Amino acid sequence: MWPLKWKTREREYRRQREEFFEAVKRLNRREFMKIAGLSAAVFTAKQIVPPHSFQVVDVVRADPQEKPLFRFAYISDTHLYERELNERFVNAALRAVRDVNALDPPPDFVLFGGDLAQLGQPKELELGKQILSELKVPVKMMVGEHDWFLDMGEKWRELFGPENYSFDHKGVHFIVLMSVNEKDFWTERKMTPMERMLTVAQLDNPIQSRFEVGEEGREWLRRDLARVSKDTPIIIFSHSPLYKYYRPWNFWTEDAEAIHEMLFPFRSVTVIHGHTHQLLTHRIQNIHFHGMLSTAWPWPYAPEGLPKLTLPMERPDPFDEADGTGWGTVDVHRDGYVDKHYNLWSRNPITVAKAYLESWGKEAIPPAPEFPPY
Amino acid sequence: MNGGDMRRAKLLALGLIIVGFGLGLGGTRATSSVPQKFQIRIPLGIPADLWEMMIPADNPMTEAKVALGRDLYFDKRLSVDNTVSCATCHDPRFAFTDGKPVSEGVGGKKGARNAPTVLNAMFNEEQFWDGRVKTLEEQVLQPLINPVEMAMPSHEAVVAKVRGIPEYAQRFREVFGGPNPVTIENIAKAIAAFERTLLSGDSPFDHFMAGDPKAISEAAKRGWELFKGKARCITCHEFNPSSPFFTNFKYHNIGIGMKATRNFEALARQIQQMAQENRLTKEALDRLALTEGFSELGRFLVTRQPKDVGAFKTSPLRDIELTAPYMHDGSLKTLREVIDFYDKGGEPNPNLDGGIVKLNLTEQEKADLEEFLKSLTSDWVRRVARGEIKLAAGPTSGNPTPTVARDSRSSRR
Amino acid sequence: MRTVKLFLLVVGILGIALAAASWDRPAAGAQESKASGGSDRLVVQLCDGETKLEIADARAGEVLPPEKAREVARRMMAAYAEQQAKQVSKWTARDRLTWEREQKRVIEEGYKLFHDWKALGGTIGISCDMCHPDAAATHPETYPKFQTQLKRVATLRDMINWCIENPMKGKPLPPDDPRMIALEAYITSTRKGVPLEPGKH
Repeated sequence: MWPLKWKTREREYRRQREEFFEAVKRLNRREFMKIAGLSAAVFTAKQIVPPHSFQVVDVVRADPQEKPLFRFAYISDTHLYERELNERFVNAALRAVRDVNALDPPPDFVLFGGDLAQLGQPKELELGKQILSELKVPVKMMVGEHDWFLDMGEKWRELFGPENYSFDHKGVHFIVLMSVNEKDFWTERKMTPMERMLTVAQLDNPIQSRFEVGEEGREWLRRDLARVSKDTPIIIFSHSPLYKYYRPWNFWTEDAEAIHEMLFPFRSVTVIHGHTHQLLTHRIQNIHFHGMLSTAWPWPYAPEGLPKLTLPMERPDPFDEADGTGWGTVDVHRDGYVDKHYNLWSRNPITVAKAYLESWGKEAIPPAPEFPPY
Repeated sequence: MNGGDMRRAKLLALGLIIVGFGLGLGGTRATSSVPQKFQIRIPLGIPADLWEMMIPADNPMTEAKVALGRDLYFDKRLSVDNTVSCATCHDPRFAFTDGKPVSEGVGGKKGARNAPTVLNAMFNEEQFWDGRVKTLEEQVLQPLINPVEMAMPSHEAVVAKVRGIPEYAQRFREVFGGPNPVTIENIAKAIAAFERTLLSGDSPFDHFMAGDPKAISEAAKRGWELFKGKARCITCHEFNPSSPFFTNFKYHNIGIGMKATRNFEALARQIQQMAQENRLTKEALDRLALTEGFSELGRFLVTRQPKDVGAFKTSPLRDIELTAPYMHDGSLKTLREVIDFYDKGGEPNPNLDGGIVKLNLTEQEKADLEEFLKSLTSDWVRRVARGEIKLAAGPTSGNPTPTVARDSRSSRR
Repeated sequence: MRTVKLFLLVVGILGIALAAASWDRPAAGAQESKASGGSDRLVVQLCDGETKLEIADARAGEVLPPEKAREVARRMMAAYAEQQAKQVSKWTARDRLTWEREQKRVIEEGYKLFHDWKALGGTIGISCDMCHPDAAATHPETYPKFQTQLKRVATLRDMINWCIENPMKGKPLPPDDPRMIALEAYITSTRKGVPLEPGKH
């Protein structure tokens, strides 16, 4: 800086401009320090996370945390039309399958997160089954509302079996829970099956009912949980978020509280959900919630109700058809809680670490968006 | 006022701004104790305020420095065997490229990338096809010591060699002062300062945008509409009066170089491994960028993010008619090949940018686009390429006045 | 001058009313009303035959004490003055009804188009609402603004056409196409009253 008496108008202008650019630089550095300087856990979170083809990073990284027990991958919300109508969504699903197959070492299994079809039509579901059959590891199927409401799950059950089921893997109890039931809004309106399907497929259609697990589903869940000790880590796959985020778009489960009550007694519960097509992080007491990406398109964030722990992703650029979409992996730790990896195709991958949720957002903070998402 | 008068008035106003700016520049260089005057005529279409903004505070423009930089730029003695200068690959005769698919350094050694133009390079966000350095000053440092370019053993060797050339010693003293003016940083500063006078504008298209409807052909006008619309060019080859460089300065995988049956995954793993072991120095990176195979990783070399595999900087389009062959590896020979390449939706590969889609252009539309691209050639650049304007006679030519776009049509009218 | 005369006229009427009240009879001009919420409050009508005032704490048929009657007179005078301050409009309630119905109709048409890819000439099953439920992330109030796809300052209509051409793989609509107007009407209707925050959208 120059002594005051030397200041001319031009110099003052220069100085201000320089200060401005310096401030910008400082800002960037501070942002970096904020993220890099917190703790070892932060370091892990900011590290390059193993994305599709480049697993060597994972093998060589110095991980100060415990090594995950195992990993599974997910592909979700493919929303397939028949190939003749829409190639884009088909290609995106194929891309996800290829990326998952390139994982080295391979994941233990792949979760399919629901909404395989766009309008629940047999040909769409069959196409989906064919695409997913290319996966080299076992697939766990979960149904979404787009797969269900044309024939109320008839074709789905034929192709993939029951909508509610559970299994155990390496000490973790996994539950696939059908959470997109709706109360009958179609009979009194005399809707055809396709009208019913189109109503549910339209996110902002207010005629439809709100998603719920429903009485039967809750009863099934109660019986399933009764067989499991309270110390057993539980991971639930649910298509709807299994909490209440934004009612008008059915980012919502009407009987969420009743489900939570059943889950609170357990030591460790994680919910992985589809439907919302966006980065979404939430915690209610012992229950950690993670959203999944869609391969087809990203939803905008709802105008209100975003869970506080969510660091949303920046708004997608529609010129790039792959932006805001992708697939992901989930690293399950010994205690059942997970590091959730969002492998975005047109962006750097983002990890929401277990430590982030365990610290209620104080540690291992994922990167925040520079521009607001909504 | 009829249309012609209006146009003249606009152009006159533009000319005055440029002159006013040129005069106003003196005395605002806060980093220099003596106010210095540096006059430059900014060609039509390039925002003068942006030019000023992009001059780094620690390397102000002076005439002596630009002249020194120009002589260094053309001096083959900066290479290990006195055969290669900056101008070998960034040759004024080819609009500051070299007309070859990939550049050739000392002993005819080939790199892996097509020489990008120096014209308007000062406006780039980052330099090189993969953006591995930020500034022109940093860029200058790499080719000097890359074994397939100028191949000097080290920066110290470059400095020693320049110190040994008597006519330079005095000029470095004049330009930079101090007891030890010949340093690698000052060599880079001088060359970068010269490069900041290499501006391209004043093309028929710029005159069209400035209000002269006859400056470009009807076919070129149709091409401009396609460029903005159906052909989807403008989203990456950004053009607007605030940023008229026909690039968004971003990196995209369009599939060039991805066709080869090469294991990119294995190459990428090696890069990750090197990074983990802290072996990815600037010099190592520069060599890898010019090594076949690794070169094709593109932006990934810098970010090591999977989305950047095979992604390269959007090339600017000014003077594109004079800079064949095209793409980062020089693999497309003509503009028509480039247009055909985009028309078919690029080269399919796992990392293809989501913005690259089939265009379904007709033959007429392709011809129109080509016409439009040919309207982006700077009058001055074309004359330099033809040898009608000489930039330098040699290292001691000592013409201190930069000759930049001096006969722009805007000033004649 | 005119105001003074009117004032005198009104006061005169009220004077009579008050005088009459003192004779323990219903006030002149006052009438019982069951219309307003079924209450039987005292309603006083002004001599213009239109302006009515409901007296909150007086029952129909009640005789007002002089002080209260003066207060009522003052309020009626104020109401009358307010009426006189308005210009005579050529637009009637009927006109307004038509405006509202037409706008609503076009907005509803826009809503339908927004959810119907075929009606907009889309070809791959993608409709507007698939990325913009409830027209979210459209921000009509922020246009014209710089759009990165077009690399220039663009209008909402430019962007509607961009989406029809690109994600929906259809043909752009002419700017005066009724479908374009309907879409614009719907999109804009979802953001009425949202404050403009440059840089946020």
